[in-house]
Amino acid sequence: MVHSFNRRHFLQTGALAGAMATMPGFLNRPAQAQAAALNVFSPLPPDPAPPGAAKFSEEAFAKWQADNGVSVAYETLAWPQLHDRMATAFASGAAPWDITYNCGWVPEFQSFLTPYADNLPKALVDDLPPTSFATTTVDGKRYGAVFTLSLLTLFYNKELMEQAGFKEAPKTWDEFKACAKEMTRDGRYGFVLNYGDPAGIGGTASYWMTFLQQAGGKVYGEDGLPVFKSDEGVAALQMMVDLMPSTDPGSISYAGINDATNVLLAGRAGMMMNWPFMWNAANDPKQSQIVGKLTSSVLPAGPKGSASIDGTDAWTITKASKNQEKAQKLIEFYLDAEVQKRQVLDTGWLPIRLSVLADPEVQAKAPNAAVVLEQAKHPYDSFVTADYNQVTVAIGTEVQKALQGGKTATQAIADAQDAVTAIVKRRG
Amino acid sequence: MSFARLQHGGPLRQTVVAAGLGLFVLWSAGPVLWLILSSLLQQKALIAQPPDLGLRNFTLENFSTVIGAAASLGRGILNSLIVSVFSTALALTLGAPAAYALARLPVPRANAIAFLILATQMLPGIAIAIPLFIVISKLGLIDNVLSLGIVYLSFNLPIVIWILRGFFLGIPAGIEKAAAIDGAGIFATFWHIILPISLPPLSAAAVFAFVEAWNEFFFALILTRQQAQTVPLVIANFAGQYQTVFGQMMAAAVISIAPVIALAVLFRNQIIRGFADGMMKG
Amino acid sequence: MITTFEQGRRRTGLFFVAPALMVLAAILFYPIADSILLALQRVQLAGGAVTQEWIGLANFQRLFADAVFWKAALNTAYFSIAEVVLVTLISLGVALLLNHPMGRSGLFRILLIIPWAIAPVANAVLWKWILNANYGVLNGILKSLGAIESYQVWLGTPFSALNFLLAVDVWKSVPFVALLMLAGLQRVPQALYRAAYMDGAGPWQSFLHVTLPTMRGVFAIAIVLQTIWSLRVFDLVFVLTRGGPADATVLLNFLAYRVTFNFLDLGYGSAIANVIFALTFVLAALYVWLLWPREPKGAR
Repeated sequence: MVHSFNRRHFLQTGALAGAMATMPGFLNRPAQAQAAALNVFSPLPPDPAPPGAAKFSEEAFAKWQADNGVSVAYETLAWPQLHDRMATAFASGAAPWDITYNCGWVPEFQSFLTPYADNLPKALVDDLPPTSFATTTVDGKRYGAVFTLSLLTLFYNKELMEQAGFKEAPKTWDEFKACAKEMTRDGRYGFVLNYGDPAGIGGTASYWMTFLQQAGGKVYGEDGLPVFKSDEGVAALQMMVDLMPSTDPGSISYAGINDATNVLLAGRAGMMMNWPFMWNAANDPKQSQIVGKLTSSVLPAGPKGSASIDGTDAWTITKASKNQEKAQKLIEFYLDAEVQKRQVLDTGWLPIRLSVLADPEVQAKAPNAAVVLEQAKHPYDSFVTADYNQVTVAIGTEVQKALQGGKTATQAIADAQDAVTAIVKRRG
Repeated sequence: MSFARLQHGGPLRQTVVAAGLGLFVLWSAGPVLWLILSSLLQQKALIAQPPDLGLRNFTLENFSTVIGAAASLGRGILNSLIVSVFSTALALTLGAPAAYALARLPVPRANAIAFLILATQMLPGIAIAIPLFIVISKLGLIDNVLSLGIVYLSFNLPIVIWILRGFFLGIPAGIEKAAAIDGAGIFATFWHIILPISLPPLSAAAVFAFVEAWNEFFFALILTRQQAQTVPLVIANFAGQYQTVFGQMMAAAVISIAPVIALAVLFRNQIIRGFADGMMKG
Repeated sequence: MITTFEQGRRRTGLFFVAPALMVLAAILFYPIADSILLALQRVQLAGGAVTQEWIGLANFQRLFADAVFWKAALNTAYFSIAEVVLVTLISLGVALLLNHPMGRSGLFRILLIIPWAIAPVANAVLWKWILNANYGVLNGILKSLGAIESYQVWLGTPFSALNFLLAVDVWKSVPFVALLMLAGLQRVPQALYRAAYMDGAGPWQSFLHVTLPTMRGVFAIAIVLQTIWSLRVFDLVFVLTRGGPADATVLLNFLAYRVTFNFLDLGYGSAIANVIFALTFVLAALYVWLLWPREPKGAR
């Protein structure tokens, strides 16, 4: 049969071509089948959670999904169980998520993550505190982006402090001890903290690391071996031991930060170290008996100044994700200035962007933001490594023994260093 | 002393028993009372020293919040019901014949097999969680209530077999002989004669399997994602890192106990009789 | 010589047992085998490279030289023995109470079951709040009764924390065992009691010589099951103490969890779990051999 290019064919082909050309974006968009799906693994509110999981910026989120042709599904879980589920999934090689939340576990899960943060837009990176990438950088590559500025600062009950005769927060270790001592009376204690769980960020070992940096020490040397068996290490632990008479005796049994927070909110303790999130809880009349009396300040300075640790709530992208670019765009959305502003105004989690932190509306709603910014001018290394859990259990257990009077600070630090050396050496 | 007096005891024994019962009520019900009270109190009252039981602190807010976030608790209860019922039904279907065979039929090395079945309980769940996850995820069955029900057989089936085996061992031999004389085969005997008289221990085994499946946490954590979350997981979701609203968690716990208590009330007689008959004769 | 009748019964018996065995094998064979194999390997998941290498019994050697392991083993031994003893005795007491005419009401039986029915995490958090050193209701009640001077940190010292963990687990475990025992009590034939009465036995003697021997089977099952379960305690340790203070309440199962899931040291964690397995196996076999009533079995 001869293919005759007759008028009918010509009209049909032309009609088809015309129809296709009118389809939106046919000529100028790269071939895309249909909406991509992103799976995000995140904690449940009130722990730090993204828009959609937590109630903020929901319209903007819906718009972003529509604009980018992405549908985002959240898999949420209570914070204490996150690590277990991530560990199981990674161990089996079947991690179904594109984006996961990460809190100090980046070096641990490094082989399963993508170092996408090296490719973030310069404008965004410039608006972030440079040291915020410290806990998500491994071997010089950035694997995650912290999305909330969460550093330990000092929170105290203004009324109790004034009753004890102090007009402002302690600025040095000596003032700290004196203040705590004065506030310990009438069944109340000057200080409370959760020493019950040795592990992780927010565990006993990490609190000691705060004091360690205030004394000018650090955990690891250049070769990766521990170097904290030093005057600084012992001084830091000794400071915690010295505070014990003024510390709520239940502290050794408080396994979570909220146990300690409750004591302060009930008005039976004067001071504690806590994360910025505490501000909201303290001013919630349903939970707190000290509404309006809470103030925060920079942590008291040790011999070498003030220091803190980074709560390091970050977003990471899994290597197995099939939508690396979309995932990165989603994280950039989470870090968008307007979204960050709603994050603090609606949920109480401070933004990480410096420009948003400086916004007067934000500063009005979260007066502790200025304090956290100030704290960020001092060191806040969390010393995370691949063995962070094991190391903090080893150090934290020794710290607990010293706090209970079972060992001297010197002995405890020495034993802790031996244990950590064994751990590091075993990794090889 | 009359026989009745031997059974009831004199005034002294009756006082001791009464005191004992009182202590028992306190011991059993005390913490549960606190569970219920906490679900009705504001957080502020719970952290007071001592907890503030003033009337103005009581509120239904915890319940309304939990029910308002109804999606997850409701789905959790539905999932738990499906998993527990499915797992219990499977455990009975597979376990009853097996228990009968190990008790009454000349299966070679029956005692060793029975002990081996019990031995599968002895490896902690921690150890098999990751390999189990690998298998289940390769089969594509993660986050699936039915597959979770089957996995639960791993701890329900052995105990069901042991409870039922004990009962079957105690049945008089004459029953089967009589059935055989009437021409009934083994399966017919099992189905028409043995099972009907075994309803109490079957109920007991069913309740046990149901409660254990209802309360299981660790495998549910590992093998589910969002869709198949069971009640223990939903309740655990109330304990966050930075905050635990205790009252809400207790409200969720109260709501989730209800089906189990309902079952217990319905089957209370069967449970006791069932355990009674499920014991080794002797 | 076996008759065809016997052969037929044996074949049917195997058919009856086979499905259950196959299902158990299908679910558990690979995980158990994998767990045993993992114990002979060194698995590195955390950090840069993921590696897996055979190291024979090195994990077990490391185990036996590890002070934390021995501490956990000691804690577990104390915990398990104490729990089995306490649960057995308390359950027997409860069962006797509920078997007495005064205790026959259904209300008591429902009260008995409730602790068993509470979801594990809710139960653990409930007790954490009850035992809290600063606002716990136990402290509140004891202080207002004048039983204590000031609030105690129940979970603060090694001895106290471990024993309170024990108390809470006993509280949760008693219902099932008490039900078993109550059932066992109700199955003791009245005729035996009458015979003892005719022989002039008083209440205590009839208890010792009629009740207890008849219940031997119940005791055996209760002890075996309780032993297996007490070696697997995990939720309570995780929520109440996280193993603290200073590893004082680390039990073997919690240690296995910590090493496997927190440290991602899968080989070592498997080794610990396999030690628990071996221990449980030996203990259970021992109890069954010692305690199981010697009696003629039902017709085969």
